[in-house]
Amino acid sequence: MPASVIHVDGFTKRYGRRLAADGLALDVQRGEIYGLVGADGAGKSSLMKAIAGVLSFDAGTLEVFGIRVDSERSAEQVKQRIGFLPQGLGLNLYPDLSIDENVDFFGRLRGVPDTELAGRKRLLLEMTRLDAFRQRPMRQLSGGMKQKLGLVCTLIHEPELVILDEPTTGVDPVSRRDFWAILGRLLEEKGITALVSTAYLDEADRFHRVSLFHEGRVMGQGTPAELVARVPGTLALFRAEPQAEALPVLKAAFPQTEAMGAWLRVFADGLDPVQARQALGACLAGVPGKAVRLSDWFAREPELEDVFVAMLRQRGARLDTTLEAAATTRPPDTGLAIEARALTRVFGDFRAADAVSFQVPQGEIFGLLGANGAGKTTVIKMLTGILKPSSGEGRVAGAEMRSAGSAIKERIGYMSQAFSLYHDLSVVENIRLYAGIYGLDDRRARQRSDWVIGMAGLAGYENDAAGRLPMGLRQRLALGCALVHEPRVLFLDEPTSGVDPIGRRVFWDILFHLSRREGVAILVTTHYMSEAEHCDHLALMFAGRVVADASPEAMKQQLAASIGQLLELQVDHPAQALAALHTAGFAHVALHGRAVHVLSPDAGADLRRLPALLSGAGVTVLAAGLRPLSMEDVFVQRITALEDAARRPS
Amino acid sequence: MRNGLWSPVGLRRLRVMTHKELLQLFRDAALMVFFLYSFTGDIYLAASGVSMQLKHAAIATLDGDRSFASRELAGRFQPPYFKPVGDAGSPGQAIRLLDDGDVMAVLDIPPRFNERLQRGEQVSVQMQVDTSNSVLGFLTSSYGAQIVGRYGLEVAALREGMSGAGAGPRVEADVRVWYNPNQNDAWFMGISELLTVITLFSILLPAAAMVREKERGTIEQLMVTPLSPFQILFPKVVAMTLVILAGSAIALFGVLGPLFQLPMRGSLVTFFLVTALYVFTTAGLGLLAATVARNLAQVGMLTVVILMPMLLLSGAWTPIEAMPPWMRGLAWISPLHYFLDAAYGILLKGAGLELLWDSVLAMTALGILVFGIGMRRFARQSG
Repeated sequence: MPASVIHVDGFTKRYGRRLAADGLALDVQRGEIYGLVGADGAGKSSLMKAIAGVLSFDAGTLEVFGIRVDSERSAEQVKQRIGFLPQGLGLNLYPDLSIDENVDFFGRLRGVPDTELAGRKRLLLEMTRLDAFRQRPMRQLSGGMKQKLGLVCTLIHEPELVILDEPTTGVDPVSRRDFWAILGRLLEEKGITALVSTAYLDEADRFHRVSLFHEGRVMGQGTPAELVARVPGTLALFRAEPQAEALPVLKAAFPQTEAMGAWLRVFADGLDPVQARQALGACLAGVPGKAVRLSDWFAREPELEDVFVAMLRQRGARLDTTLEAAATTRPPDTGLAIEARALTRVFGDFRAADAVSFQVPQGEIFGLLGANGAGKTTVIKMLTGILKPSSGEGRVAGAEMRSAGSAIKERIGYMSQAFSLYHDLSVVENIRLYAGIYGLDDRRARQRSDWVIGMAGLAGYENDAAGRLPMGLRQRLALGCALVHEPRVLFLDEPTSGVDPIGRRVFWDILFHLSRREGVAILVTTHYMSEAEHCDHLALMFAGRVVADASPEAMKQQLAASIGQLLELQVDHPAQALAALHTAGFAHVALHGRAVHVLSPDAGADLRRLPALLSGAGVTVLAAGLRPLSMEDVFVQRITALEDAARRPS
Repeated sequence: MRNGLWSPVGLRRLRVMTHKELLQLFRDAALMVFFLYSFTGDIYLAASGVSMQLKHAAIATLDGDRSFASRELAGRFQPPYFKPVGDAGSPGQAIRLLDDGDVMAVLDIPPRFNERLQRGEQVSVQMQVDTSNSVLGFLTSSYGAQIVGRYGLEVAALREGMSGAGAGPRVEADVRVWYNPNQNDAWFMGISELLTVITLFSILLPAAAMVREKERGTIEQLMVTPLSPFQILFPKVVAMTLVILAGSAIALFGVLGPLFQLPMRGSLVTFFLVTALYVFTTAGLGLLAATVARNLAQVGMLTVVILMPMLLLSGAWTPIEAMPPWMRGLAWISPLHYFLDAAYGILLKGAGLELLWDSVLAMTALGILVFGIGMRRFARQSG
């Protein structure tokens, strides 16, 4: 009989007047990987800290291993059986100690006998492939390696329960996948229960069961499949020309409509694929002016994020933005907004950017992708004039980078990942400040400030301090400040970290409007792979160089042609299935909760032969099907191949 | 250039940036409380509490003679300078009183003091002084020496048959006390503390404002706007200068003037102009510190590190002339040294710019130098 490892009921936590967790309830079974999924400030960390016994709470009951945690004493009783990895890359580790010393320290802190410590350390470091770097100080490790070391230190005393708070935030997609694979194996082998949080909704299928968090409440609980089934509907992907005309009409009828580059992505709730096709067709027939042509129709099951947004919408969240079509529509200028020609920046003997070239026409959303340290920020800094290139040329907004740096600064907008607002100034004061900096006179400043407030949905918040706004509003205010002088080119550096799905969607709607209606060129860097799909064009950076430059669609097609299509197998014994597929020669196999993902060069044949192959290993395939490739698949495959190539001696 | 520094757009930029700094400062409640306290309460405490004069120094006697003369001498150690606490009893007891800090000095009068004076012999009295506070110790011993010396003269004069003053050839020192006729310590200490507080905030406020932008990442945002490094840094200095001038006005017209009757003899316009110049000079040091510091805590530490030597080298606590030669050299680069000259000059002596031009010139030169270095470092760091 599965025993409950964690039992939470009515958990409530306040910070001053702010309610961080409001009557949370959940139940984690032994041996489960349980996920808490939600944006920053949704209450995940508060709950995790309380379960780990390091945070007091205001109301509710909390039982860990059947012991009620309500005092320092009772918390001490369970602490030895728990491993806790707090949020933040390597924050619990000691930067100046080596990998070895960090592990030893945590081992001794937890009272692991020296005789056992050595053996456990060897095993864990081997599994995480950190054993080659044992003498390296922690501060010199990459983000992914820090998180793996954090995991090792959390597991060194062989806890029965591990609590991992956002272990993959700020880690690039390749390391993230690696981390999940290692975690899955370790937990499976040791029979450990895990409570893991993530801000990435597309990681939810890594868990057996999840709780969806939003603003201190649980919106839904169950297996990812159960949650998806909770809101019936169809996800439709198609093209409609002209897209800019079709979008507002569709959005009025189907609030969950998004533009993804040249594609439209619509969640039609309550409709099956046939009904969805009819309803969308009818809706597009109502577009005023010339007829809209619908093509390339795909319909499939929605993703968790679509369902989550639908749940929030049912509770009254609104997705619409009040962006009237600009009265002063500019003549569409089709020139190049950004042109990088062999931009290079050298720091010492390190080439942070190496002959980077690309072009962004006006009106395009251009995505610059890459892991941390790949050179994205260096390129943005050169293009915005903060950093001088060592060599190479560039034109931004019609001005030469080398000779007209200050002209460029007047014509571009920039928004950083920190949403660089003055937290102690009010909404209006922030906008007016940037209006003044960009030299707008009082009348223009007032006009633009009204425009920003309307665009960002900030009406009613005008005199609130920027620091007290919810993340989504804060992000849109930062965008508004970057747009106050109506720049022709907009730079966005990791613009959506920490924002909830509703906020992210509204944000992308605005970007789409700016690019299509007002012809603004937008350069975005991101490591949210799901966001990359919104871009018209992508450049993938690796080790300072641009290694791929194409539309998301073309990149996916290239991957399908070279490596194959993605199969998802629902099986009863995922770990055995994983091993059997490896032995059968599949190079790209990954565990996602109870499902296994396989890249197959010949999908049709494999779908037929895999059930038999796996039953030979004692695994029953419950369901099997094709899944569309995601940008994350593209990114991980490309980067892994490049890393392998870099490691091989030439 | 179209949008040059002093064009309408350039001026608008300076204006909105200065306005922003003032808003941010006024909304930092903790800093404002500290600021207001420093310019009022702290200056009041310094002016009323700290004194460089000898007041009520406890003195014990060891009277080995117990005669008319010995009682007469001991009786001359009177308030307000001294506070006689009576006879110590024994030499051991006297030492203990000194050790425990119960008395400041012990006057030791030898046996046969009266008898030997009558005989016209030379007699010594011993005074043991606690000089762990060297200033008070020095004052105690010199006052003591003066009292004993005067008594000796009187005894000698009486013996020669001359009674009263002016009877014999003697030199009388006739002292005229200028600028602070009552030798009111509150004036000196009050101004000194005001200058210290001005210095503290001139370093701290711009450095804190700068490092806050670094911590929050707003500086990056400012760098991609058309603002030049000067347009980013200068408004901070302007805003902080305005605030510090306001603080100084509160200290002068709210505390030192009404409560301690500080005369303020010179032109107040000149005083505030010189103060503004000084704040600008010192703010450069703060900005320089902010290019080194990574967070507010480091700014706090750096402020202390810069402030202490500035105070020590300024001559606020010790005259420059009394310092070792190498330190005297350093004092010339402490802006506080020049400000001190100017501030005392204007407030107490009524001096004007015609007398203080050299200090003002030196301060200006130092200010431009330091601000220039700070701006270069800032531009390089973020370039």
